[in-house]
Amino acid sequence: MANYKLKINNQIREVEVDDDMPLLWVLRDELDLKGTKFGCGIAQCGACTVHLNGSPIRSCSLPVAAVGDGEITTIEGVSANGLHKIQQAWIEENVPQCGYCQSGQIMSAVALVDGNSNPSDEDIDVAMSGNICRCGTYPRIKKAIKNAANL
Amino acid sequence: MKELTMTSRRNFLKISGLAGGGLLLGFNLQSCKDESGNLSETEINAFIKIKPDGTVTIMAKNPEIGQGVRTSLPMILAEELDISWKKVTVEPAKLDDRLGSQFAGGSQGVKTNYENLRVAGAAVKSVLVLAAANRWGVKPENCEVKDGVITNDSNTLHYGEVASEAALLELPEKPVLKDPNKFSVIGKSTKDVDLEKIVTGQKLFGLDQSIEGMVYATVVKPEVFGSKVKSIDAEEAKKVAGVLDVFRIEGMENPTQMMDGVAVVATNIWSAFKAKKLVETEWELPSDYKSSASDLHKSLAEGISKKGQILREDGDVEAEFARSGEVIEALYEVPFVSHSQMEPMNFIADVKSDKITLIGPTQTPGGARHYANIITGIDKEKISVEFTRIGGGFGRRLMNDYANEAVYISHKIKKPVKLVWNRENDFLADYYRPAGCYQMKASLNGQEISAFDVKVCTTSRKLYALQTENAHKTEAFPDQEPAGMVPNLRVTYEPILTNVPVGPLRTPGVNATTFAYQCFIDELAEKAKMDPIDFQMNMIGEEDRDLPYDDHGGPSYNTGRLKNVINLVKEKSGWSSPAPSGVYRGFAAQMVFGAYVAQVAEVSVVSGKVKVNKVYCAVDCGRVINPLGANAQVQGGITDALSAALYEEIDMDGGKLIHQNFDRYQKLRMKDSPDVEVFFVESDASPEGLGEPSYPVLFPALCNAVYKATGIRVRSLPLKKHNLV
Repeated sequence: MANYKLKINNQIREVEVDDDMPLLWVLRDELDLKGTKFGCGIAQCGACTVHLNGSPIRSCSLPVAAVGDGEITTIEGVSANGLHKIQQAWIEENVPQCGYCQSGQIMSAVALVDGNSNPSDEDIDVAMSGNICRCGTYPRIKKAIKNAANL
Repeated sequence: MKELTMTSRRNFLKISGLAGGGLLLGFNLQSCKDESGNLSETEINAFIKIKPDGTVTIMAKNPEIGQGVRTSLPMILAEELDISWKKVTVEPAKLDDRLGSQFAGGSQGVKTNYENLRVAGAAVKSVLVLAAANRWGVKPENCEVKDGVITNDSNTLHYGEVASEAALLELPEKPVLKDPNKFSVIGKSTKDVDLEKIVTGQKLFGLDQSIEGMVYATVVKPEVFGSKVKSIDAEEAKKVAGVLDVFRIEGMENPTQMMDGVAVVATNIWSAFKAKKLVETEWELPSDYKSSASDLHKSLAEGISKKGQILREDGDVEAEFARSGEVIEALYEVPFVSHSQMEPMNFIADVKSDKITLIGPTQTPGGARHYANIITGIDKEKISVEFTRIGGGFGRRLMNDYANEAVYISHKIKKPVKLVWNRENDFLADYYRPAGCYQMKASLNGQEISAFDVKVCTTSRKLYALQTENAHKTEAFPDQEPAGMVPNLRVTYEPILTNVPVGPLRTPGVNATTFAYQCFIDELAEKAKMDPIDFQMNMIGEEDRDLPYDDHGGPSYNTGRLKNVINLVKEKSGWSSPAPSGVYRGFAAQMVFGAYVAQVAEVSVVSGKVKVNKVYCAVDCGRVINPLGANAQVQGGITDALSAALYEEIDMDGGKLIHQNFDRYQKLRMKDSPDVEVFFVESDASPEGLGEPSYPVLFPALCNAVYKATGIRVRSLPLKKHNLV
């Protein structure tokens, strides 16, 4: 067990956990930020996607000890005020079905449009390739990303 | 479970005042009769609440697995209540016998609730109007209602202002239902009621829930399906900080209820996951198990060579085969497919000495309560079940094995527990779509099928669940098209039992037979030198008929509606014009669970690999309640089926499951997701469910297109094993 001071959603959060505990479980069960989801535990499905210094990472496979003073952003903190334009676009297109994978999808999409104001189909395919949706919401995700990029 | 039947409205609907003013409607969609046929007591429950300020709260009664019923069912109530959707708040219901069936499966949600919810909404509206009319001393017929506001000449009252008075009135037995031409909620695209909560990451799902004082648990599952725990060495596992206990979970006799495993209990889930890897379990292997997919293939081949049970026999297939001289034959095969829903199995159970609290994602909350009673002996009346939004169902959560495990663990450790499976558990203890093989034979007389013979052998779900009767149910469908359309037809079934767990997965059985039937009919069309759509239309026949269908979606189906969707997809896909260069089309159609579906898939081949560009889908599901949700269901069903068709199967090595996570078990991702365009037939017919119908038709539409593109008849799935993706 060790004490960690983590920068999460622009706040310093203190936790005392095993150093190999993945960031995912620190967020979910220590800090009660349940928006980040558990899907596979091996960085294959993307349900646990959060941002580390603005880049999407799989929190299920990042031990808390490796976070250091990196800035973590989760779905709960993705927009400082109101909804991020990706979240707005998700609502506009009614993207989710069961909804479980969508936090991760949104975090990948936010990272994409924050760094690319006009993503092509190929850009979207690449940026979203780490996120599985079993319900098959991909066509609406693609449309929502394009709409958001134009906002 | 006792049969539930509709009874008179007097018992069906109950109304009462709401504390602090207002109105509360409780009702049984299906009032319960006990064994003697007497009505069991009906009490009030909060189903529709109208507060003095006019706000309306509607409970969403059925589990939400992504099929949209938390939105579509309340829409039906709001419509007849004559209140605009924006004034409605939807709250999820708990398990409550007074709400009738609370179940998600078989595309039944909208279909079985539509009429009852309309009556309930209309009945409440009628007493609200009567209350207003009484206050004004006028006849209710002379009052009008618009968006929750009642008017008569210059008099105006909103629902909230008369709700308390209305609550004292008797509900009408047969309220006047709205003219469907005046529907303003039903048929209007409506966004998911949880949409904003989903996109902001709020605590909607089972895995997001917690209960005071809970500990965490996970399980160890055997790598060879059906193994039982022989011994456990937990010494190393118990050294992990936070681990509280390690013990055997003794499976129930019926493996669909609970399978053997080892429980690892800890103060946090990460400790439990770490300790799980350190548990040394000696497993007693099942006496017979499948060592690999090719071993399974052998068993299916043996099964299909047996005589089998004849399920339907029209005319004389053998005589026609002998007469015709040429018999066309093909053997189709499907693998075990995983549910691989995104939210892993989880459940919270708090078993106290005299009561139980259950919270979690289940498609059958009543089943969770039933088994909690069996495991603990605690009365059902003392068991409460809260069912959460569900991160994917697809039939997996029709089994409550994981909920039962949570009960078992909490009962043993006498603490509230949150059970969380990891993804490996999910694969090691999935109830797979049965594997099967389909021996198809037919003869042609000119351009018509003169005899059609199907022999099915699958790993029967019924046998696996220890039911010996009707092993063919959800495996083979005696009335499936072209039954009734060809003079000689025979359907035969032979079940096999293996150690691999099997269960319902999106259109159980139909998702496999539709592949075999509709691909084989495409082969016959080619043999007859006919366009596949023309061949099938000819087979269905000019006259519109109601053909008997003694299975889910029956008791009959209409050939005219089937032809309509075929014509619609033909038109929308531009089937009659040549496809663009390098694009190849495939077609398939089927009545699925009461809805009619026709699809055209367009594929191309890039460097020898198949690329699905677009799928056109025409659907007749009767009246569409929520076009936005309906479109998503059809689109999603097609995308999901494409994932299975391209990639999905499990295999074993020496009996041990190879595909235990998404690194080996491949799922469709964004880059392979095609454009899907959906067209609904406008219809006044009763609504049918849509969670499943589009799914099975994609398999043959795709493979028929792949044949056009490559000349390869894909008769066993997935395409991956043919090196086509």
